[in-house]
Amino acid sequence: MSSTTVNTRPGRRGSRARLALACTATAAALLLTGCTTVNSSGGGSNAGASGGGGTDYLPDETVKKIVNGREIKVGFAPPILSEFYTQVEKAAQNKMKEYEDRFGVKWKWERQGALNDAHSGTETLGIVQGYIARKFDAVFVCSAANASTMQALYKQGSAKGIDFYQFNSTEELANPSQAENPTGGLSTVSNIGYDDRWQSGYLAGQYIAKQLKGQGSIIQIMGPSGSDWTKLRQLGFKKAIAEYPDMKIVGEADGGYVRDKGLTAAQDLLTKFPDVKAIYGENEDMALGAAQAIDARGLKHWDGTSGIITIGADGLVSGMDAIKAGKLTATVDVNSSEMGSRMIETLFAHEFLGQEVNQFIRIPTGVVDKSNVDWHEGVLKNVLSGPGKY
Amino acid sequence: MSTTTTTPMKDNKSLTDRAAGRLLVDPTLGVLALLLLICLISAFALPVFLNPSNLYNLLNTSLIVMILAMGMTVVLISGGIDLSIGTTMALCAGVAATTMNYGLPLIAALLAALATGALVGIGNGLLITRLGLPDFIATLAMLGFASGILYIWTKGVPIIGYMVPEFYTIGGLTPLVGPLTLPMLIALAVALVLGGILGSTRLGTHFFAVGSSKTGAMQSGVRVDRIRAQAYIVSGLAAAVAGIIMAGRNTNVPADLGNGYEIQAIAAAVIGGAALTGGRGRILGAILGAITLAATVNLINLVGVPSSYQKIVIGAILVVAVLANRLSAVISAKVRQRRALGP
Repeated sequence: MSSTTVNTRPGRRGSRARLALACTATAAALLLTGCTTVNSSGGGSNAGASGGGGTDYLPDETVKKIVNGREIKVGFAPPILSEFYTQVEKAAQNKMKEYEDRFGVKWKWERQGALNDAHSGTETLGIVQGYIARKFDAVFVCSAANASTMQALYKQGSAKGIDFYQFNSTEELANPSQAENPTGGLSTVSNIGYDDRWQSGYLAGQYIAKQLKGQGSIIQIMGPSGSDWTKLRQLGFKKAIAEYPDMKIVGEADGGYVRDKGLTAAQDLLTKFPDVKAIYGENEDMALGAAQAIDARGLKHWDGTSGIITIGADGLVSGMDAIKAGKLTATVDVNSSEMGSRMIETLFAHEFLGQEVNQFIRIPTGVVDKSNVDWHEGVLKNVLSGPGKY
Repeated sequence: MSTTTTTPMKDNKSLTDRAAGRLLVDPTLGVLALLLLICLISAFALPVFLNPSNLYNLLNTSLIVMILAMGMTVVLISGGIDLSIGTTMALCAGVAATTMNYGLPLIAALLAALATGALVGIGNGLLITRLGLPDFIATLAMLGFASGILYIWTKGVPIIGYMVPEFYTIGGLTPLVGPLTLPMLIALAVALVLGGILGSTRLGTHFFAVGSSKTGAMQSGVRVDRIRAQAYIVSGLAAAVAGIIMAGRNTNVPADLGNGYEIQAIAAAVIGGAALTGGRGRILGAILGAITLAATVNLINLVGVPSSYQKIVIGAILVVAVLANRLSAVISAKVRQRRALGP
């Protein structure tokens, strides 16, 4: 565990009075939160869930004076438009609406996601460059592009006065010590996400092992080879399975992070390995495709004692519906709603209050199965029906 | 069921010689040989490949690309190319799913999807014949339009909640009778209709004539623009049929549902003997081409190699198929020339 590096750059365009208030707020924040830490080593689902600033310790009227009706132009650049990123965006917009009502902040929000190949990252680069050229105040980015390329782009944009916040992004594999040493090349104000190794792959592996009492063979439907998300989830999943000597991963195929390919891949692997006890789909769409393959072959879904376990990761409404219908055993909810909400809290704290924010903010995740799906789905549906709309 | 521009040789050679000669001039036999070779290698390397349930899965998996490839074959024969076929499929799937979500009956959803496919085909035809855009550019633009409409309409969120038991049957997830699935019957029907059109109707002859030589066809009184537009309507309808099946198979419709399917459809049609230069192609070839692609993916999944190898293998198969097509075209031209000159 290491001490957190904080970003101390105050919000721009502040008047002297606003700056004074911001400094007061910063001091108050530090007094109240103390020295926060980031736990980047593996193990727990809540590892390192530390704060990105907040407003609760100041009266709304005080914050309102700081904000002073200011408008902020924010770009949102997910790697692709999808159910998951829509959930993240909706949660963010709900928080924006709350801040608008409480503090009078005005938002200009623009979303642009890659329309073709999310895993090349090329389109995201173009989108971010567009935000830089149009002088946005802040940009949220999640990209599959090479980490050093993205850091260079953030530096270039930061030099022009734009603040970057990464979300749901993997840390650079070539530099695994970055989490322990956040100054190691990270050019963003903050990195808001979850630890993919331990909070997605590892939890899924643990869940399978626990249900199967440490015995049985597993097949995997993986994302595109070369994807950092795939590599990281594999680290966690394989580590969890390696803790059970009587469990074995017998086959794997590429499902391209999409449902129909997941279905085809699972059908092919179930032909070769008809006795498997579990299927791990690295994301929820592929896991749902695998669940369809189980139906198509007339096999039995896991009922708590027998059948085939199917587990994915994301925490989508469609996945939760499938869990309730008994078609999908479980999913690792990577907490899109909290991610979106924390993104805006962090931005607000940094841009408006001039607060110090953590460079790594870990979002807690958890396994959702039939035992707790109602609660998780309730939270998600509440977020999706929220007032935020920009 | 289908037509090619070539005719079998008739001479006094032995049966074996004639078979070998036919293999060279008939691209469909070429792709059949390629498919058998892949099956043979697969069966030798992995006995599970010949497992009936695996072959059944393989066939089911190939049906969407197969239907798209049949539509693409008609366009290629008439001298065009349809890059919008994948996104048209996704758009039609989206129309069907949304219609269902509005609470309209299934038949309305199917008709709406088919109408959308036909409209996209008409749009492609108008862009090409009225505005004079090259086929490649017009259908590339249509790819953008169809994809953009679906993204704007869905806001990037997959359409869900439209599945009813009938849609599981349409998608082939629930068999119709015994092991027979509805998409199998639909693919067969599409093959019979398009094979019949190409093989035994004036329209089919006109597709070949326009693809072989637009000027020649025009001088013969063929309404070239109308024929070219009709080829795109066929392709749009095929995409709609594939989209309806895809909506049932996938159980949701994301906006990027059709990404890459145009390439697979072109690859299957070309592997099956369709020429990018027009005037040549077969429905049976498209069917075999789609099965060849599915067999390749199936083999790769069974072996467990990464997807990057999958792309290389499909690329290699495509190169071999195009070279074999070119060779067979040269040989068949020589055969025709020899026949014209007489003994």
